[in-house]
Amino acid sequence: MSPTDQNSQASDLPTSPQTPTDADTSADKNSTTHFGYKTIEKDDKISMVAGVFHSVAKQYDVMNDLMSFGIHRLWKRFTIDASGVRPGNKVLDLAGGTGDLTAKFSKLVGREGKVVLADINSSMLNVGRDKLRDKGLVQNIEYVQANAEYLPFEENTFDIVTIAFGLRNVTDKDKALRSIYSVLKPGGRLLVLEFSKPEHELLNKAYDFYSFNILPKMGELVAKDGESYQYLAESIRMHPDQETLKGMMENAGFEQTSFKNLTGGVVALHKGYKF
Amino acid sequence: MKPSNNKAVTQSSNQLSTQLSTKLSDSLLLPQAATATLELIINKALSLNNKSLSFTAVAQKTLTLELAELPFSLCFTVDNASSPIGVIVRSHAECSDCTIKTSISTLKKLKAKQSLTQLIKQDELDVSGDIKIAQQFANIAQSLEIDWQTELAKHLGDVPTHKLLQFGNKITKSLAATGKQLEADIGEYLVHEKRLVVTSSQINAFNQQTKDVANEVDVLSVRIDKLVADLAGKQ
Repeated sequence: MSPTDQNSQASDLPTSPQTPTDADTSADKNSTTHFGYKTIEKDDKISMVAGVFHSVAKQYDVMNDLMSFGIHRLWKRFTIDASGVRPGNKVLDLAGGTGDLTAKFSKLVGREGKVVLADINSSMLNVGRDKLRDKGLVQNIEYVQANAEYLPFEENTFDIVTIAFGLRNVTDKDKALRSIYSVLKPGGRLLVLEFSKPEHELLNKAYDFYSFNILPKMGELVAKDGESYQYLAESIRMHPDQETLKGMMENAGFEQTSFKNLTGGVVALHKGYKF
Repeated sequence: MKPSNNKAVTQSSNQLSTQLSTKLSDSLLLPQAATATLELIINKALSLNNKSLSFTAVAQKTLTLELAELPFSLCFTVDNASSPIGVIVRSHAECSDCTIKTSISTLKKLKAKQSLTQLIKQDELDVSGDIKIAQQFANIAQSLEIDWQTELAKHLGDVPTHKLLQFGNKITKSLAATGKQLEADIGEYLVHEKRLVVTSSQINAFNQQTKDVANEVDVLSVRIDKLVADLAGKQ
């Protein structure tokens, strides 16, 4: 997954023994925010997350496969299946990173449709663009470097917006959700694929152990950057759980919101409509 | 319990088992794993195809197959956005140009060229949408021409491939001959020998009858002895 504050995807499987404290929660309301377990100034987060994803961009896909044992491909397939995409649709793949979802959407919307791959991080965007071009996907894809909180598109533009493993890196998630709501067409849907809270305590413990003991070492070994993967693990733990995120989507104006836990809640797919 | 109650219980237990199997397969992402595998196989087959195929009529069209044996659908979409053209397989599509509801056994009948109309009349096949799309998908599948020998030779070399295929042909022929012989033997057994084979119930009946005859003979023997004794007494 890619780094930058808001729209980058990060693929890690973490959780830590720690949980957000009251101080952490109140931090969101002020000028501070989280960077993993650290509380930092909001203005600093974009550059700090960007640093993470600039560092891991080239090894991003390999690390995703390694860290998730390839299951991230199935989570993304599930997202595509739930998207209801059809030929001619306009799709925004936000925090699209290396373009896994964009590749599939591009094939499904056809020549009459369009897919915009947006990411705040230029390194991730470059890797994604090269990868998709190498696959021969050039006809209906546009690339935009954009911040999810301030999407540079007209209102009511897209039929579908997806953000996979990216929302947790966004500084102001509520603002990003409102921005997404604005660019969706009436009847359009948002799909948020993100790490979440495992349903069973045993799985939660195993997940914690994996995230904080194995994941950073794997990052050190493969991407030569253990710190970035430590951050990714922490950021997943700090991300709102299933019900909280559902509530945030409703606050942003989405209707008929729902979520589906995948792999025991390690990942959840949230869905909401704009009517 | 009344028959209507029994029916309701059966229905609700069927619904429950369907819900459970769907939840389990969803949780394990089985539909996604199955469609990913299928997609890989189809696109590999398309890439190995030597014959020129036209996808124009099915470009961006979706064919959905709902098999009774599977808790999820198989949706095939031909994409025209990439090069080379490929097929995307999904487990769910909200928009389908043709949907076929059937079972694997009916699909086999279709392969055996059994009449489509007949199967629809027998409620074994339910087609909704544009049936031409299904026919075009089927035509493409039947038109695929893959030169396995050439493909294998790329990896193994010409001579080993030739030898391997020769060996494969021998095995295939031998298996086919064995199969035919087995089929003939089984047929002969079923048609002729099975009728002559004594069943266990027949053996039991025979044993019982034998015992009955033995008992009757014993009784008769006792009576004869008694009569002989009586006659001897009178003389």
